[in-house]
Amino acid sequence: MGHYIELSLLDLLLAVGLIVIASAISVALRLGLTKSLLAAATRCMLQLGAIGIVLKEIFRINSPYLVMAWLCLMLVMASWEAVRRARSRYRGIRLDALATMTFTSLAVGMIVTQVVVKVSPWYDPQYVIPIFGMIFGNSLNGICLCLDRFLEYLRARKKEVELRLCFGATRQEAVIEGARQAVRTGMIPIINNMTVAGIVSLPGMMTGQIVAGASPVQAVAYQIVIMFMIAAANGLGSMLFATLAARRLISINGIELNDS
Amino acid sequence: MDESQSSGKHLPKGQGFYCGPIRFKDPMGRILLNGVTLKIDKPSVTVIKGPSGAGKTTLLRAIVGLNKAKVEKRILDGTIYPERRLTNWRTLVTLLLQDAPVISGTIRDNLSFPFSFKNSPRKGFPEDEAVRLLDQMGLGHFGLHHQVDGLSGGERHRLGLVRGLLWAPPVLLADEPLSGLEPELAQQCFDMLFEFSRKRQAIVVCVLHEERFSKQSDLVMRLTDGTLHRT
Repeated sequence: MGHYIELSLLDLLLAVGLIVIASAISVALRLGLTKSLLAAATRCMLQLGAIGIVLKEIFRINSPYLVMAWLCLMLVMASWEAVRRARSRYRGIRLDALATMTFTSLAVGMIVTQVVVKVSPWYDPQYVIPIFGMIFGNSLNGICLCLDRFLEYLRARKKEVELRLCFGATRQEAVIEGARQAVRTGMIPIINNMTVAGIVSLPGMMTGQIVAGASPVQAVAYQIVIMFMIAAANGLGSMLFATLAARRLISINGIELNDS
Repeated sequence: MDESQSSGKHLPKGQGFYCGPIRFKDPMGRILLNGVTLKIDKPSVTVIKGPSGAGKTTLLRAIVGLNKAKVEKRILDGTIYPERRLTNWRTLVTLLLQDAPVISGTIRDNLSFPFSFKNSPRKGFPEDEAVRLLDQMGLGHFGLHHQVDGLSGGERHRLGLVRGLLWAPPVLLADEPLSGLEPELAQQCFDMLFEFSRKRQAIVVCVLHEERFSKQSDLVMRLTDGTLHRT
């Protein structure tokens, strides 16, 4: 396929010039952002640098155990981040987030890597790590939105839920409307993304593949798979998280919302 | 009535409603219900009174499992309902919540939703009966398709009563069901509760403040210092 230009350290140094432009604007307009801008740029460089080194080693060693271990680490970090971003929490939210992410990413990730793309060997880090990474990153967003919406519903409509319980609703029957709204909220971003894909924005992965020399048609094919994968992950993740949260919050003793 | 003597092994048998002993501590650790047992054998209308903050609402909510009270036994007509069967219990022992909450939607939505639940003993919304009850409560002019958003507090309370009477459980609990009603309307609603109890052989338990309703009821109980007494 097409050619691919390698970036050298010197090229990177030239890119630093871009950050200098951004800082100059901050200084000129007295935005007070110079410090945080430089700190963010440094963090970005160090973090990505570290990931680059780690991934390079993982690719080189090419061991299924190491790939699995790395995926597990990403999984834990992603569910942790999902909880951190949530506007309100409840007891056991971390476990629910982890369970949701584990199930969702396993189900969707396996379908994509093993059935659709047919990665060989099955753990090939070149495919498995970025694909699972995208599932984690996107379902994190989805379940976070979904959870916020769901807890908001329970808080605002607590009496309505109690009213249903009083007439013998099961837990699911009592919160079904809230769960519906929450899952819908969790799925809206991916629907929007699919709607404007290619028109307003060229999705990141597709862009990357084109730069790396893949044919645009292949890049598009991959992007479609990825979009559908994210849609599945968001739907599944939102539904699962709402169910788990309902199990915990609508207990035998009515609704428990411990605001923190 | 305080039935602390009832031992665990000999279950109260036969007909009627039994719930307790109930213990409840509020978040501050204050004991609000100290082993209260509510036992009613016959179809009747019972009024529960007590100073505000005595735990009347807590008691009713504990009976249907809507708070963290410890409730040892729930029995209806000889059948024991453990915690895992609480949803079934609630279809039979139904609480009309304080402040008469509504679900957003129409009057019909508000009256019909319980009949679609999985555990509902009655399926299918009895529309004719609903219309009749709405008429009796003076809500007939709204019609079934009126949105409930604009209803006043008193109208919501009456809608809550219609919901309860339409559902017609063997035991109907009501937490201040007549608040916000004009005295005449309140009397009319109370009469309907009474008639319901007589006609359907139902047990009705209300938390009510007005003295005149105590006088008209079959039984009055008073909740003070964590115990329930017959007066």
